[in-house]
Amino acid sequence: MIIRNDENDKYTAAAQMVVAGAHQIRPDDVVYVGLGLPFLSALLAKYTHAPECTIIIENGIVRTTGFELPRATDTLGVQFMSDQLTGLFYVSSLGQAGHITTGFIGAGQVDRYGNVNDTCVGDYYRPSHRWAGSGGANDVMSFCRRTITMLRQSQRRFPGKVDFITCPGYIDGTLGSREKAGLLPGTGPAMVITDLACYTFENGEMVVKSVNSSVGATLEKVKEEVGWDIKVAADLTDTTPPTDEEIRVLRERVDPRRIWVGGKRTPIGKD
Amino acid sequence: MNKVMTMHKAISRFVTAGDTLFLSGMQHGEPAAAVHEIVRQKIDRLTLVSVLVATANLLIGEGLVDRVLTGYTNQDERSYAVVKARDAGRLPVFEEYSHFGISLVLLAGQMGIPFIPTRSEIGSDMPKYNKNITSVKCPFTGEYLGAVRAVNPDVGIIHVQRCDAEGNAQKWGTMGVDVEGINASKKVIVTTEKIVDADVIRRDPNRTIIPSFRVSAVVEQPFGAHPMHLAGCYSGDMWGYYFDTGPKENYESYVKELVYGLKDWDEHLKRKAEIKPPGYFENFRINAVESDPIITGY
Repeated sequence: MIIRNDENDKYTAAAQMVVAGAHQIRPDDVVYVGLGLPFLSALLAKYTHAPECTIIIENGIVRTTGFELPRATDTLGVQFMSDQLTGLFYVSSLGQAGHITTGFIGAGQVDRYGNVNDTCVGDYYRPSHRWAGSGGANDVMSFCRRTITMLRQSQRRFPGKVDFITCPGYIDGTLGSREKAGLLPGTGPAMVITDLACYTFENGEMVVKSVNSSVGATLEKVKEEVGWDIKVAADLTDTTPPTDEEIRVLRERVDPRRIWVGGKRTPIGKD
Repeated sequence: MNKVMTMHKAISRFVTAGDTLFLSGMQHGEPAAAVHEIVRQKIDRLTLVSVLVATANLLIGEGLVDRVLTGYTNQDERSYAVVKARDAGRLPVFEEYSHFGISLVLLAGQMGIPFIPTRSEIGSDMPKYNKNITSVKCPFTGEYLGAVRAVNPDVGIIHVQRCDAEGNAQKWGTMGVDVEGINASKKVIVTTEKIVDADVIRRDPNRTIIPSFRVSAVVEQPFGAHPMHLAGCYSGDMWGYYFDTGPKENYESYVKELVYGLKDWDEHLKRKAEIKPPGYFENFRINAVESDPIITGY
């Protein structure tokens, strides 16, 4: 639930996440988004401060206009009136060649150095938990100049070190570890956005940058839900809360069908 | 040469037990009718290469798959198909790539080269568990890159909007890994909403994604991608399909009622229309928008 229908309670932690994500999109960005909250962030940015941004979707969609918020990554509504329809190889190559400025991914887990695990907890052959795998997330994290990871936070999802690196962040945290692996300089995780806080990276290590105090989070709670003794940025602040206008745009333009906004996600239906 | 034949004949003639099988349609226009026919014919020991093909769960659940090259597949109890395969001792080996990695193994296959370098997957743990991902030193710059091994599927199946009787096939909308996958495949089965006159193809030949000489069989099958959507033809019911084949009872009733009990896809569609609420298929009608035709001539 992004925005409660109760008018006295205007938005939730998820809405704060969407807005924090949108704020990371610059007016001239080329943005790669996957299903879920990143779609909402990209559309919110497009309808507010970044109308010129380009939105890229992994099935092969390139758009500079808004679209009907879908229930799946590829729908006829997302395809309709695109600037370009192509394939996964083509749009991923745009990333590999350095043309995608900002990528958004979800995550099963994220660790101290920004490495993302979408594969397994425990031994690979006898895991205690399995996710479905990389999808396009490894490609995004490998290629994009800035990758933003969005996930709900809990200590279990924020281990000091993930058991499996699906998407390399700053790997072991040492200087140049990405480059040593063969990844291009000037790429990698830039931010992690959760329901509790926003994090950036200093010398390859995650630090708390802002606390989502507008939705009741505290630094104490944030630290409780991290699996290592996380550092705090010198300029720690509160996460910029949604404006009334942003909430209105989310409700009226981004998601007028109320797939995500104002109720439970309703997956069954025509798309 | 006219290659038009029935689905039954195309599948029995060109898909063989033990084959590496490419399925097109990354969440858009997958060859669902063909997949159901493979299940009906119980063609097994397959190696499957596909990206986000919804009906591929039937191949796994019915124990027909030995190995899956994948970027994203539910491998645990959230997929009843996986549970069923595991309980029957038929759980496939999952060979894991990123999505770009899958497109690259197919691109290398299409290009006829043994591997292709990439900046994806390196720095991750995927290469530790997948012997077909490694790293390679660039002979020109000396830098290290990732490398994935080429795959040439024995047979590839694609569903398209239109195709002529010889096999010149045209698809539009999002292409996923269709172009690389189908062109990497040794044998190609095209299933199509409609068989059109060759002149229709030749008035817009840029849209042809595989030429007739590469195609073994052409099957006309309206609604051949249902439950997925197909650009310009119909919207879909992917979430409905996940529900219909998600929980054990639903899955078992689906394969009994809508796969094994039937002669072909037309019967499947008819039976499904009876099971679903009235107007189920009518709801997939789209508001068609036409583009301006391209101009050719000399």
